[in-house]
Amino acid sequence: TKSNGINAILFVLFLVLGFGAFFWYSYSEFDRYQLPIASEHGILTDNLFWVTMGVTGIVFFLTHVLLFVFPYKYQYKENTKALFYPDNTKLEIAWTIVPAIVLSVLVFSGWKVWSEVTRQAPEEAQVIEIVGYQFAWIIRYPGQDQKLGEFDYRLIDATNAHGMDFSDRSTFDDFTASNIVVPKGKPVLFKIRARDVLHSVYIPHFRLKMDAVPGMPTRFWFTPNKTTQEMRDELGNPDFNIELACAEVCGRGHNSMRKTVTVLEQDEYDEWYAQQESFLAKNPEYLANVPSNLKEVAVLAAGMETDDADDTNKN
Amino acid sequence: MSDKENIILNTEDPTPTLSMHPKKFGLWLFIVTVVMVFAALTSAYIVRQGEGNWLDFTMPDIFWYSTGVILLSSMTMHWAYTAAKRDNLETVNIAIGITAVLGLAFVVMQFLGWGKLVDLEVFFVGNPSGSFLYVLTGLHGLHLLSGVIFLIIVLISTLRYKVHSRNMARMDMCATYWHFLDGLWVYLFIFLLLNN
Amino acid sequence: MATANIQQAEGQVVAHEDHGHDHEHHDNFISKYIFSTDHKMIGKQYLITGIFWALLGGGLSLVFRLQLGFPDMDMSFLSPILGGWISEAGSLDPEFYLAMVTMHGTIMVFFVLTAGLSGTFSNYLIPLQIGARDMASGFMNMLSYWFFFLSSVIMFISLFLETGPAGGGWVVYPPLSALPEAISGSGTGMTMWLVAMVFFIVSQLLGGINYITTVINLRTRGMSFSKLPLTIWAFFLTAVIGLLAFPVLFAASLLLVFDRSFGTSFYLSEIYIAGEALPNVGGSPVLYQHLFWFLGHPEVYIVLLPALGITSEVVATNSRKPIFGYRAMIGSMLGITILSFVVWAHHMFVSGLNPFLGSVFMFLTLVIAVPSAVKVFNYLTTLWKGNIVFTPAMLFSIGLVSFFISGGLTGIFLGNAAIDIQLHDTYFVVAHFHLVMGSASFFGLMAGVYHWFPKMFGRMMDAKLGYIHFWLTFVGVYLVFFPMHYIGIAGFPRRYYSFTNFDAFSDFTDLNMFVTVAAFFTAAAQAIFLFNFFYSMFRGRLAPANPWKSNTLEWTTTRYPGHGNWPGEIPTVYRWPYDYSKPGAKDDFIPQIVPYSQTKDSNLPHENELVDLEKETDAIIIDETES
Ligand code: HEA
Ligand code: HEA
Ligand code: CUA
Ligand SMILES: [Cu+2]
Repeated sequence: TKSNGINAILFVLFLVLGFGAFFWYSYSEFDRYQLPIASEHGILTDNLFWVTMGVTGIVFFLTHVLLFVFPYKYQYKENTKALFYPDNTKLEIAWTIVPAIVLSVLVFSGWKVWSEVTRQAPEEAQVIEIVGYQFAWIIRYPGQDQKLGEFDYRLIDATNAHGMDFSDRSTFDDFTASNIVVPKGKPVLFKIRARDVLHSVYIPHFRLKMDAVPGMPTRFWFTPNKTTQEMRDELGNPDFNIELACAEVCGRGHNSMRKTVTVLEQDEYDEWYAQQESFLAKNPEYLANVPSNLKEVAVLAAGMETDDADDTNKN
Repeated sequence: MSDKENIILNTEDPTPTLSMHPKKFGLWLFIVTVVMVFAALTSAYIVRQGEGNWLDFTMPDIFWYSTGVILLSSMTMHWAYTAAKRDNLETVNIAIGITAVLGLAFVVMQFLGWGKLVDLEVFFVGNPSGSFLYVLTGLHGLHLLSGVIFLIIVLISTLRYKVHSRNMARMDMCATYWHFLDGLWVYLFIFLLLNN
Repeated sequence: MATANIQQAEGQVVAHEDHGHDHEHHDNFISKYIFSTDHKMIGKQYLITGIFWALLGGGLSLVFRLQLGFPDMDMSFLSPILGGWISEAGSLDPEFYLAMVTMHGTIMVFFVLTAGLSGTFSNYLIPLQIGARDMASGFMNMLSYWFFFLSSVIMFISLFLETGPAGGGWVVYPPLSALPEAISGSGTGMTMWLVAMVFFIVSQLLGGINYITTVINLRTRGMSFSKLPLTIWAFFLTAVIGLLAFPVLFAASLLLVFDRSFGTSFYLSEIYIAGEALPNVGGSPVLYQHLFWFLGHPEVYIVLLPALGITSEVVATNSRKPIFGYRAMIGSMLGITILSFVVWAHHMFVSGLNPFLGSVFMFLTLVIAVPSAVKVFNYLTTLWKGNIVFTPAMLFSIGLVSFFISGGLTGIFLGNAAIDIQLHDTYFVVAHFHLVMGSASFFGLMAGVYHWFPKMFGRMMDAKLGYIHFWLTFVGVYLVFFPMHYIGIAGFPRRYYSFTNFDAFSDFTDLNMFVTVAAFFTAAAQAIFLFNFFYSMFRGRLAPANPWKSNTLEWTTTRYPGHGNWPGEIPTVYRWPYDYSKPGAKDDFIPQIVPYSQTKDSNLPHENELVDLEKETDAIIIDETES
């Protein structure tokens, strides 16, 4: 019948136009949707992404050609009869095994990358704590001792947003920062927490994502491989910044949990690091929470002016 | 060759289809869903326990006694069942009555058990190890009450002479459900013992 | 052989006793249309309720698409409907945005594609296709619908709460869903969500128990498992999945209820919110995720399998060819059923899950693509050398296969843990599940409606309108969901009210606008369907007995089958349902009720051997057709 023929032709038309649009857009807008990579493991995962794209792209193309050409070719004709072809064990086995092999290859390469990305962070990694709450991130660095102090959620207050525990020595030199700063070429370990509901640390340019879970600290380590400046030059955009976003729905402000991430050369980073003032030095009133036998240690470690310390001691 | 055999099997002439009493079968499916609920809860228990911060305590003795009671009730249930098969309706009434009373006794003992837990400072609100115990026993207790209701329904039908050797469906289902609830408790009890 | 015959005779007698009186009922309005125990009416009730929910769920998506496509738009014109959720300045409240997304997801997954799809077709088709008078328990079946209805009412009312409906995403992860301080929807809205879901679970379990019991126990004579239409296999396995998965959701919700209302700490730990440290310690939010996805993942196959079953039937019928690889189709569905229970943690690769478990789940997830591949290739081979008739149902089935391939292939990316690090919770995931669920399953539903409408209402839907509906929807849906892949690869996170806060997500306003426009276009196309559906219900051309020249049993009864399905005896089944275009046969189809002895010319060699066996049983068979 007539409408049968029209439907058959439309399938072919759809196939041609659809693939045309798909290839055209994918090719011409490539730079818009392909985010530049700024971490070492990002290169691996992106590779895997494009390999998978290649494999599935071929499957996608071939199956669709068949799916839309068959209806055209075998559209209803009077006086013809369809082929009675109920079964073919060999074919079934073939198309069980071939996809199985293809998938094994994908699983295996995925597994290699996954184990690489999730393995234990190297000893020398720069540890940084990221804590999410409604609706912002706060950042804490270990001080010179490179050890983050203990925390307890019951110690949280307006200033001590991390709930830092000042009875722990490692806390004394910890400092907070308003933005994340990391060195290029050195492993960085994020220790991730949440204060209220789930959040998720997501830095698209690092190909990094890890949920922040209240009551269960998580971690993710990576190695930045481009400085922010290099990224700016590459993109020709002097205002470019790497951004941290929240990727787990957390309420009204879910879409506003932004922080910038700055990648510096190692020497610039060291300089920046040295300039940071410890939390205690900035908020000397917390010295009151330090057990008295540790006060002197604390004052030293925090690099505090001594008269500051005296003040609070008097209080 | 084997292909051909397959096809023959495939096209055998009309045979009656497998038949089981649909309601009985439905009961079994219901039991499957109850199993899944408890499987989910006990695996949640294990997963949660694996994460540490877990309060350990010994199960109060009363749970041992209640286990004894429910095992006994399974026996009286079986007694009722065999009696019904022999059309011994008097006995059926008595046996079902006893089973129901034992069932209620079990529920009361579980409740007393909760009291003992509170004495041990294991609360519903607090460490999940305690909360889980309350949820598991409570949910099982509710199911047991539904079992008691089922018993009463069967009791009423026996009084109306609707349960006898040629009409065992209801009895059968009741017995199945009751033994299942018994088994479920034994599983839960052993599970809790092993994990505390 | 002899014993088998005796058993048959007995089986027959029992069947008579059970159902002899059924078709003499006189129904009044209430027992016929409202508290009906007839599976056909219950199926239609599910369908109509499903359409209502689809419109509502779709409508919600249009509103939040407006926000995404045109973030600066003045939405005051919506304040008559949305009231206080639109600010003075005409902008949408961000919490209400999340609530709408949540409700959209919940409605579409559970109310449209679980209840609306399984509920409609399992109810309608199981007894008709296996040759039974009704479901095993008509009463339970009715209860199942009314529990669903109750659940619907509660969910619907929650939309109008002052504090809004649940807003933590359709997965309602705690602590967000447990703490009203965190989002206003977690107050009464969330309570109602949980209550509604509990009723929904009860409804699904009642339904599922019935489907399974019916398929196993009430098949007509000759309807062995190897002669069941693939639709029935699909509904059966769907019900099995539901039976195993929904109780787990029940357990998960129960614990959530305790956490919310009684202060336990199953999922809550070390929370500091609204300037206060909560007492809860020792809970684990990840535990909830495990429990939820243990249901959640099988749920997506609950949504898909019936659609695949419908497609198998429609593709075979309209290609005028046997479905290729009947056994492989069953095998692959069984494979999917089993595997669907062991892949759940692929939703949790970056939730803090142990990386080793991540590897295990990555492996299992990609394994599930193998049975899916078998299904796709079997569909393609069924089309090959067919004599294809494009009924609207056939078009939607071909569309389904296309969406299943596109959406399934993007699942391969997500299943790969290393790639999922970047793609998790981005629009790539949104694109994936809309193609494979919001499009493939949705098209399966449509195919089913077009195909069985004549049986349901005794009238034909208009084919031309069907074609137009298909092409507009097919093109429209691809235009809505395909571009989301680019947005996702570019890293845009999901459940974002707007993207303006980030430089990284400031691009693609054009594409977002385009998607919104396409969504309106697609939704508008559904008006054609609605018109066609309701108009044809009353005014359509009267349906012939077997409009698609199909083999299955439902086409052997009258146009308006009464309660009891067949006016006379239930037919006996002799062959599988896919004898299309058999060489030597005079028609290109041989219904399941035709014995081999009547088709000497087309029988395959071994089938001729069966004829002799049939003869022995003929006595009974002829008797019963004459009575
Ligand atoms: C109908 C519903 C449905 C179906 C069938 C599927 C099918 C699949 N899904 Fe999908 N999925 C969802 C609905 C569905 N999904 C939903 C709703 C979510 C999001 C939930 C939320 O967070 O809100 C989700 C999310 C989701 C995730 C989590 C993503 C994330 O949050 O980070 C993952 C990860 O593994 C995944 C994987 C898969 C895979 C591997 C399949 C496979 O079964 C697909 C198999 C099919 C094919 C592969 C195509 C056909 C095969 C061939 C043509 C053969 C040749 C192919 C090869 C050799 C490669 N899905
Ligand atoms: C089965 C499911 C299904 C369907 C069909 C749809 C349909 C649509 N969805 Fe939906 N969507 C989900 C399931 C579905 N969605 C889920 C699970 C989520 C996740 C929620 C979460 O994050 O928690 C989601 C989230 C989601 C988002 C992400 C929001 C965010 O993360 O911020 C977006 C954004 O564009 C979107 C858009 C759309 C659009 C434009 C349609 C359009 O196609 C709508 C057009 C359709 C209609 C207007 C319906 C008309 C239909 C009929 C009339 C049919 C008749 C009915 C019968 C025959 C029974 N959806
Ligand atoms: Cu924090 Cu989303
Ligand atoms: Cu899944």
